[in-house]
Amino acid sequence: MKYINNPDRMQIEIIKRTYLVSSLPIAYSLISGEFETLLGFVFGLVISTLILRLRVINIERSLDMEEEKAETFIRNRYFIEYAIYLVVLVVARTNPSLNFLAAAVGLFMMKFTVIMWVIFDMAKGGLKNKLQEYKDLKEDKSEKGGN
Amino acid sequence: MIEFSPGTIEMIIRSVSVIAAGLALIAGVGPGIGMGYAAGKATSGVRRQPEARGAIVTTMLLGQIISGSTGIYSLVIAIYLVFA
Repeated sequence: MKYINNPDRMQIEIIKRTYLVSSLPIAYSLISGEFETLLGFVFGLVISTLILRLRVINIERSLDMEEEKAETFIRNRYFIEYAIYLVVLVVARTNPSLNFLAAAVGLFMMKFTVIMWVIFDMAKGGLKNKLQEYKDLKEDKSEKGGN
Repeated sequence: MIEFSPGTIEMIIRSVSVIAAGLALIAGVGPGIGMGYAAGKATSGVRRQPEARGAIVTTMLLGQIISGSTGIYSLVIAIYLVFA
């Protein structure tokens, strides 16, 4: 994750991983026949994907502005996103064919994926470091034994 | 001791839950202010070091994804309270 410096590639990676992680709850709700849950989840997921795209566009636009202007711009755009979330959640709550909690989880899915991704990367890095330390220790021991 | 009719009690509960929903929505203001501050600093960072633009955008994007969901938590609670 930390080596991805291209925003477009990062965006694609986030969406790809989110949909990969989301395939589990989607498959579960399909198998168990809970179509309200499935619809709510997909609804939340699609909206969160679209909002991610909107965020990237807003960030790219804000970088060409003055500092104070960028601050106000991103703050205003966040409140627009907040209103979109409000509409999505109210629709999910009032519509009987959509599960409200599933829609909320669908909206959160991107955050869960990013956190899981970071934890996975950290664990992988830690494991690699430990392995390297072990290898270095082994090499030191063999050198000392050889002398 | 004051006794309320069931209708009055229901009205009190309803009004208190609406007030609580309004208070829960305040939690959504914080991320907006934080995101705006981060965007301002990112802009000055890009101006200082234009070659780091990609890294700054990706870091900011991840930060916005994480911090933006705090607002959704408050929305979920508020909608639960209003439609309870």
